[in-house]
Amino acid sequence: MATDLWERVCDLLERGRSACLATVVASEDEDRVGQRLLVLPDGEVEGTTGLPELDRQIARAACDALADLRRGWVVIPEGHRVFLDILAPEASVLVCGAGHIAVPLAEFARAVGFGVTVLDDRPDFAHPDRFPGCRVIARDFREALAEMPLGPHWYVVVITRGHEHDAECLEAVLRRPTAYVGLIGSRRRVGFVLEMLGRQGIPPDRLQDVFTPIGLPIGGESPAEIALSIVSELVCVRRKGPGQARLLRRVVEEGS
Amino acid sequence: MTDREIFEKVVELRSAGVAACLATVVGAGGSTPREVGAKMIVCADGTTYGSVGGGCGESQVKSAALRVLLVTGRPELVEVDLTDDLGTRGGDVCGGRMWIFVEPVRRG
Repeated sequence: MATDLWERVCDLLERGRSACLATVVASEDEDRVGQRLLVLPDGEVEGTTGLPELDRQIARAACDALADLRRGWVVIPEGHRVFLDILAPEASVLVCGAGHIAVPLAEFARAVGFGVTVLDDRPDFAHPDRFPGCRVIARDFREALAEMPLGPHWYVVVITRGHEHDAECLEAVLRRPTAYVGLIGSRRRVGFVLEMLGRQGIPPDRLQDVFTPIGLPIGGESPAEIALSIVSELVCVRRKGPGQARLLRRVVEEGS
Repeated sequence: MTDREIFEKVVELRSAGVAACLATVVGAGGSTPREVGAKMIVCADGTTYGSVGGGCGESQVKSAALRVLLVTGRPELVEVDLTDDLGTRGGDVCGGRMWIFVEPVRRG
């Protein structure tokens, strides 16, 4: 394979692009094993197995796999088993507010495979020492959010120290598509924030997307327990979709 | 580790000239500890990054990686059988089967 294909993969992932990395993992023709192609969604192909016809067939299968984000192996005649790996933008958590829940939250989210960014306007709180392995931004919420590359692979957890900051963050976040938005707070505080956002022109259906109360209902009380319930919700949304996460809460609330 | 972190580590190890293998779960059947696409890097000194499933089959993958790096130089498709349902032969009780592709990623 071309010596720079790994760099190319990193570059695509960094820019939030998708691609299919296709690798011959077994073949009657031993020299083909380990050969690979990088196939982009528009059908563009980088690299070669050395056999043009095989390249064409792999590219076709790769485009199909990309269309429905299906990872797995396929058999391509004659006798080539090809693994199609889907490279997609990393699922990322943005934690707005770097207080006492943010520390275990960032740790648990990293442990389950999210990239984590922590934002707070207080440099003592948004400090890299408190959040190992995370991107930490100490800056005004509104300014920082205006420059964040939010998108459908972002999970946003709003846990700032006050409702003005919560509103400020949500106002910026809800105008863009995201996988998840959750807001912590008492019923009263949350109601106040959502009502204010409605007056600022955020559409009602987008306000309904906000997970609040936040986290799966496991009865968490300590900061770490609350962080665990929030991260459980993120995992549920990532693996099974937002409907399943809401259903879990409903079932627990109706059962009690 | 996320895929992105694994690939960045591969690039880093390659530019540092460290001999390493990338192991990827490419096929799975039944109950397995990791999903298809899970990745682990194994360096020649035994250091690993990421995971293809903890105790379940990981030692088999590590020895395949060392064989690839130190002996054959060719990629291998390793089949890991986790169907020892009572754990009588060493505890791999997940119940499924995984196929893991192990390939060298050193430069040159």
